[in-house]
Amino acid sequence: MTDITNTAPSTNQKLKEAYFTASQGQLIWQRFKRNKSALAGGWVLIILILSGIFSPFLTPYDATIAGRDKDYLNGAPQVPSFCDDNGCSIRPFVYTYERTRSFKTNFRWVSEEKTGLEDRRYVTFFSKGMEYKFLGINFDRHLYGVDKGQIHIFGTDSTGKDIFSRTLTAVNTSMAVGTIGVFIAFFLALVIGGVSGYYGGKIDSVLQMITDTVRTIPNIPLFMALAAFIPDTWSSEERFFFISLVLGLIGWTTLARRIRTHLLSERNQEYVLAAQLCGASPSHVIRRHLLPSFTSYIIVDLVISFPYMILSETALSFIGLGLKDPVNSLGVMLQNVTSADVLLNYQWYFIPVIFFIVLVLAFVFVGDGLRDAADPYADTNK
Amino acid sequence: MSRLLDVENLTLDFDTDEGRITAVDDVSFSLEAGEIMGLVGESGSGKSVTAKALMKLNASNAIYGQNTKITLNLADGPVDIMSLRTAKELQVVRGGAISMIFQEPMASFAPAITIGAQMVEQLLIHTSMSAIKAQEVSIEMLNRVGISDASTRFKQYAFELSGGMRQRAMIAMALSTNPKLLIADEPTTALDVTIQAQVIDLMKDLVKDFGMGIVFITHDLGVIAQTADTVAVMYLGRVVEKGPVRQVIGNPSHPYTQGLIQALPRLDDLDSPLTPIPGDIPSPLERPNGCVFNTRCSRFLGPQCSVTIPEFTPISHDHMVACHIYQQDQKGT
Amino acid sequence: MKRDTLISATDVSVHYPINGGKLFGPKPVVRAVENVTLNITKGSFFGLVGESGSGKTTLGRAMLKAAPITSGIVNFNDGEVNYSLSNMDAKELKDYRARSQLIFQDPYAALSPRMTVRDIIAEPLEIMKLTSSREETDRRVREIATKCRLNLEHLRRFPHAFSGGQRQRISIARALVSEPKFVVADESVAALDVSIQADVLNLLKEIQQEMGLTFLFISHDLSVVAHICDHVAVMYFGRLVETAPTRELFNNPSHPYTKALLSAIPSLDPDAKNLAQKLEGEIPSPTNPPPGCKFQTRCPHAIDICRRDEPQLEKIGEEHDVACHRWQELM
Repeated sequence: MTDITNTAPSTNQKLKEAYFTASQGQLIWQRFKRNKSALAGGWVLIILILSGIFSPFLTPYDATIAGRDKDYLNGAPQVPSFCDDNGCSIRPFVYTYERTRSFKTNFRWVSEEKTGLEDRRYVTFFSKGMEYKFLGINFDRHLYGVDKGQIHIFGTDSTGKDIFSRTLTAVNTSMAVGTIGVFIAFFLALVIGGVSGYYGGKIDSVLQMITDTVRTIPNIPLFMALAAFIPDTWSSEERFFFISLVLGLIGWTTLARRIRTHLLSERNQEYVLAAQLCGASPSHVIRRHLLPSFTSYIIVDLVISFPYMILSETALSFIGLGLKDPVNSLGVMLQNVTSADVLLNYQWYFIPVIFFIVLVLAFVFVGDGLRDAADPYADTNK
Repeated sequence: MSRLLDVENLTLDFDTDEGRITAVDDVSFSLEAGEIMGLVGESGSGKSVTAKALMKLNASNAIYGQNTKITLNLADGPVDIMSLRTAKELQVVRGGAISMIFQEPMASFAPAITIGAQMVEQLLIHTSMSAIKAQEVSIEMLNRVGISDASTRFKQYAFELSGGMRQRAMIAMALSTNPKLLIADEPTTALDVTIQAQVIDLMKDLVKDFGMGIVFITHDLGVIAQTADTVAVMYLGRVVEKGPVRQVIGNPSHPYTQGLIQALPRLDDLDSPLTPIPGDIPSPLERPNGCVFNTRCSRFLGPQCSVTIPEFTPISHDHMVACHIYQQDQKGT
Repeated sequence: MKRDTLISATDVSVHYPINGGKLFGPKPVVRAVENVTLNITKGSFFGLVGESGSGKTTLGRAMLKAAPITSGIVNFNDGEVNYSLSNMDAKELKDYRARSQLIFQDPYAALSPRMTVRDIIAEPLEIMKLTSSREETDRRVREIATKCRLNLEHLRRFPHAFSGGQRQRISIARALVSEPKFVVADESVAALDVSIQADVLNLLKEIQQEMGLTFLFISHDLSVVAHICDHVAVMYFGRLVETAPTRELFNNPSHPYTKALLSAIPSLDPDAKNLAQKLEGEIPSPTNPPPGCKFQTRCPHAIDICRRDEPQLEKIGEEHDVACHRWQELM
């Protein structure tokens, strides 16, 4: 422990000193880092979120109708290759395709690949492409593109929109809706749970009754009712915010309960009493003792709420009550997968699903890791 | 009287987030049937860990030393505790041949089940009694430990009893299976001093009647002086002095034992100042080399104290102390 | 009130209502403290002894206005101000908080794990706005930390870096930084190892003499109280049963409970024969105590009058009071 006798400082001493002066937050971070799966989840999460934010740069085409490829509807994914029958090249390339219609194809439009040397479309990097706005500035460089025509590494959908571009923007949209929803829910939970937990007594009883009532309302019918009220005249952005608001208004109850529980136990701590015996005002107690005490838990709760928000939004949009084109999310992308045609022939429509599974799992791993790091006494027999 | 328990070279490390901690280091002692042995030490001494090791009750990240050997001599042969691995094998020992009572009686009784139900359950697991017989035996035990109106108490819950009665009920439960060894982990620390006196008397009576051995863990030297026959003083995981109670307390030889006795406020001398042991107990992550007490020892001899671990030297026939001062005297400086 | 009494309690009772029970009629109460009268002299180290259910913690808190005073008067007079605790307005209460402090029992629960030691000790100064600048706060923190023998370099560490004894010293520093006149130490050494206990007790004595404080030392451990306090009051079941200067109490215990307490302390001599009778039984139920003396259920000398009339404190010597009908016969 902190001894009177001081030996010469060594790396061991420095480590110990670091341990002694580490705040709770730093200790939690140390424990979190030791959890391999949580760390991996964290990295995946960061990559996905950044991909979503920088999607206009990372994807070659606009994800809306404006960026569609008329010549390549329901097109299969084009995987760039380096070599083919005509020889190898340093630069990766894909093939040109041509839409033809003939008696042989039953007069349906069919896209065929032309494998000639002159039909190669070489993949270019940092190529000029369609313009997009990012943080208010116009850019036109994209991470990759092709020298002529278009390239679709995840294929296209029925109107020719590039699925890869749509996937990344969907990740971004879902994260944005989730973030807004989580913060609305968090704010409500903080106020209601906070007042409930701090004052206790009758106020607590009344607020708990309200919380329980809201909690028992079945979510899906409520979503459907609220979403059906959205007038068609609203723009997609207005719709977007409304859906986020709805998700937040319904999702605050669990968080409120947790905040209340933390507060009820924390306000009986002896160091809180010590502050009160000095005449501390409630705001001092809340600011100095109560809020910091559950910051770590609240972060955990917030992280764990995200997947629920994202999945709720997906479900809503999937059944047509949530977001609509041109705003793009996983639910919107899945709106068209229910036909037999797609299930049998166009399986690449489901590639975005993998992305979302990975995203949700990453959240879960990180959330679990944070919870274990913040509360080391939860599982002493690991 | 035969040797009931033999503990040889008990070493216990814990693998924790902060590193490998040595909680118990090469502890050896033995216990006869009908003997009360006190295990005295302050926080960090490893006494509770030692006691739990007797039933392998420590956490799963506990690592026992290679030479550790714990032998329990029962009527039908010796039992090597270290060799018992599965919970089923250990069940024979836990609650059957060895029983344990804890500091906090509320922690040992399940709050939602009556005391009687728990006592009966224990008997049904460890003996072949019928449920009716188990109930009879339990009520009798409750009576025996001085709980008045035992048949009513039998049907009550733990929170309905006062602290002293809960402790007695726990003793009753522990003794109902007629164990050969009773481990008492700070059983009186949470009790008022007047209740403590009653419980100590009770335990001495029970030893006379039942003839079991007791390992009595506490930090209170006064309680040991009144209750135990032999005592082992522990510091930071090692035994520093052991022997009959009269000799260890009457003639404390190890500087730690001496310091401990001097630090106690004594009623027979109100004028004497309180003399603490200087320094603080080192954290288990920073165990001193050599003699574990050397960083606080007022009779520090020199380099050998901080380099070599002292061995046991006999002061008298069965009073042993682990200190270089006596080792030197023995060899004749 | 004697001139040099710092704080006095006159017929103080603290009752807590219990939820539940009958729907109509009087609500059951727990009489945590019942009709206690005592005076604490300025500069003294006053011991309050009792076992669980004695009400000593409640009384200590009531004298700090941290527990409600149901009836009776607590009066605080340190020469500068004169307060009656039941009739203080908000401003007076605020001032009283700066003059009276509490040292807690559990060193592990009393310090916020999220604050550095410097911040913990500085908190009272910040709440009570006793300093006007950060430098002044730092200076006072360093002063009191040095007095409590804390290493100044460790002020930027967090509580998890310290042992129980060191934490208790931090707790003491926090209580003393506002320079109070009256400090209540509620079982402040009970959770500490014996070898550390002595250290903390010596520190308290030193500080008391240096800063001229008045201590109310609450403990269940008579031997500790014997060494550090100059006056002792013994409580049982919410009532004061005996009060006397320390020497006098230990040489002439007059109440049967005091005698039993003394004889119950396990002696270091294995051959010591405890001549006084050991107590049997337990304390009565807090919600339904028997009439008369509350000690009757365990007292080996209880007679009829004990079961009828509750004994009052009577003076039997110099500053020595006892509440027992039979004290004279049992001498």
